[in-house]
Amino acid sequence: MEHTDSKSIEDWTEQIKKDIGDSRVFIFAKGEKNAAMCGFSAQVMQIFNQLAVPFEVRNIFADPNIRPAVCAFTNWPTIPQIFIDGEFVGGCDILTEMYQTGDLKTRLESPAPKA
Amino acid sequence: MTKAEEVRQRIEQALPGARVEVSAFSGDDHLRASVTAEQFAGKTLVEQHRLVYASLEGLIGDAVHALQLETRAMQKDD
Repeated sequence: MEHTDSKSIEDWTEQIKKDIGDSRVFIFAKGEKNAAMCGFSAQVMQIFNQLAVPFEVRNIFADPNIRPAVCAFTNWPTIPQIFIDGEFVGGCDILTEMYQTGDLKTRLESPAPKA
Repeated sequence: MTKAEEVRQRIEQALPGARVEVSAFSGDDHLRASVTAEQFAGKTLVEQHRLVYASLEGLIGDAVHALQLETRAMQKDD
């Protein structure tokens, strides 16, 4: 993997705010899109694939400061973390539960709130 | 004390009266926890999970590699 200059945690926090605004569904995961390096990250990507909902992923392993920035931003200790319409919805367990109850589909079928 | 036992005790101390079940599903550091607590009433799932994670500060991602978490507000008939 090519090494680029590491960003600070503050810079990553700004990038995270951009990321979650750029895509309706945004995932901070272990691994790249559809190439997860952890079963929980794979599971959340699979859920969105099954629903045929587009999503974007940022791999937390790309820079050692991404994970501390994300976890401080959400006050949430684990990865993956899922955002919908810029709002933190939880990790793998919550997303899976929302998928099973149908709440996730309902939420994604409703129009995105106007910015 | 196993890690599962330590996790159970920490959650029970943070949420008195809660019904807590913890088991390992891979090795002794991949755990599954089910927590039913009246303190969860009126809270979103994110808020419920945050309460549990707060009780496990310093354990998650370190001694405990993964915690699969299921939370539920305790109902009157529980």
